[in-house]
Amino acid sequence: MTENSLTRNTGACPEFEPLLEDRLSGELGGGDAALVAEHLKSCAGCNAALDHVALSSRLLSLVEPAADPGPGFAHRTMARIRHAEALSADERSIWKPFVSLAWRFAVTTAVALALVITVDVGTHRDNSYVASNSASSEDAGLFPDTQSSPVERDDFLVPAGDVTHGSH
Amino acid sequence: MANVPKNVAASASTLPLPSARSEKGEKERELVRLAQSGEHAAFEELVRRHQQRVFGLVNGILRRREDVEDVVQQVFLKVFVSLKRFDQRSAFSTWLYKISVNECWDYLRKKKVRPLMYEADLSEDQVARLDGVVSVDRPPESPSERAEVRDLLERLLEKLPDDDRQLLMLKEVEGFSVQELAEMLDLNVNTVKVRLFRSRARLMDVYKRRLESHASQPKSAEGKRV
Repeated sequence: MTENSLTRNTGACPEFEPLLEDRLSGELGGGDAALVAEHLKSCAGCNAALDHVALSSRLLSLVEPAADPGPGFAHRTMARIRHAEALSADERSIWKPFVSLAWRFAVTTAVALALVITVDVGTHRDNSYVASNSASSEDAGLFPDTQSSPVERDDFLVPAGDVTHGSH
Repeated sequence: MANVPKNVAASASTLPLPSARSEKGEKERELVRLAQSGEHAAFEELVRRHQQRVFGLVNGILRRREDVEDVVQQVFLKVFVSLKRFDQRSAFSTWLYKISVNECWDYLRKKKVRPLMYEADLSEDQVARLDGVVSVDRPPESPSERAEVRDLLERLLEKLPDDDRQLLMLKEVEGFSVQELAEMLDLNVNTVKVRLFRSRARLMDVYKRRLESHASQPKSAEGKRV
């Protein structure tokens, strides 16, 4: 236990300490005042203790008490109370869980949609890149040019330059 | 009435009449009932009536002026929330002060600081200047002297254990009675008086030790302490 007022020995008789405090505070009256006066005639310890603390009241009288906060304080306090009440009412609303759930669902959906769009756009970009690269490839024969394909069957069968068709 | 001692007659004349006290108490009970039924105007009136005392109480414990208003508002907020549970078996002020004390302890625990800290210690010269004011019962005259004395006393009080300082501040500076202190701290009245007396002794121990240390320093040729 840390040393504090309870453990501090003042040198005064313990049973008289409350009365000595009353005397210092100017609150000793009647029979108690006479009792203390009589005791002080013969008790050196109580006299010394009283002398020791005599200046304490004067010392403490130099400390300024708290200033009045003024009339605006009550208004500010009530504003804070009303704000707290509004927050509390909002917390107690039966719709609050549903509103909260709806917000969470909306946010989740928005994030998911954003992800889908991002992935989809990315995929399309990849496909068009691959298609543009295939036109200059060495394997173009695998992908014949349709412009030079025979339009008619005869064009396909008759060799180039032979127009007799075997008639001689 | 001729045989009534002067001090009793003098003190009796400053006390409000029993009928006035009971009327005031009844008015307050009515305000509390209205506030409990939800009337904000009644609660605001209670705040106005008690704000000064609660400020004094919180100031006496925390001594951090920038935090005092916030903590006091927090006190009244808690009172507002708990008001319906208050059964008026004790005075409203007693209940209010207990909440205030608890709120201060909670605040100090959360902040994990002592109520007020000074980095620089109180020097012997400073105590000597203070003694020049106190020992001849001469109140500081100029604003700068008052500010200096106030600062020196704060540093002196800072040397005391928290319990001692707070008790002395609440009783001697903020003006709470022994009865009020006993109720808000849940102590016996005699225990409060004993603690007060011993706290004074500790305060004077610190004060006189500094003075003696100052007096024991050697003086220079010009008569000044080196």
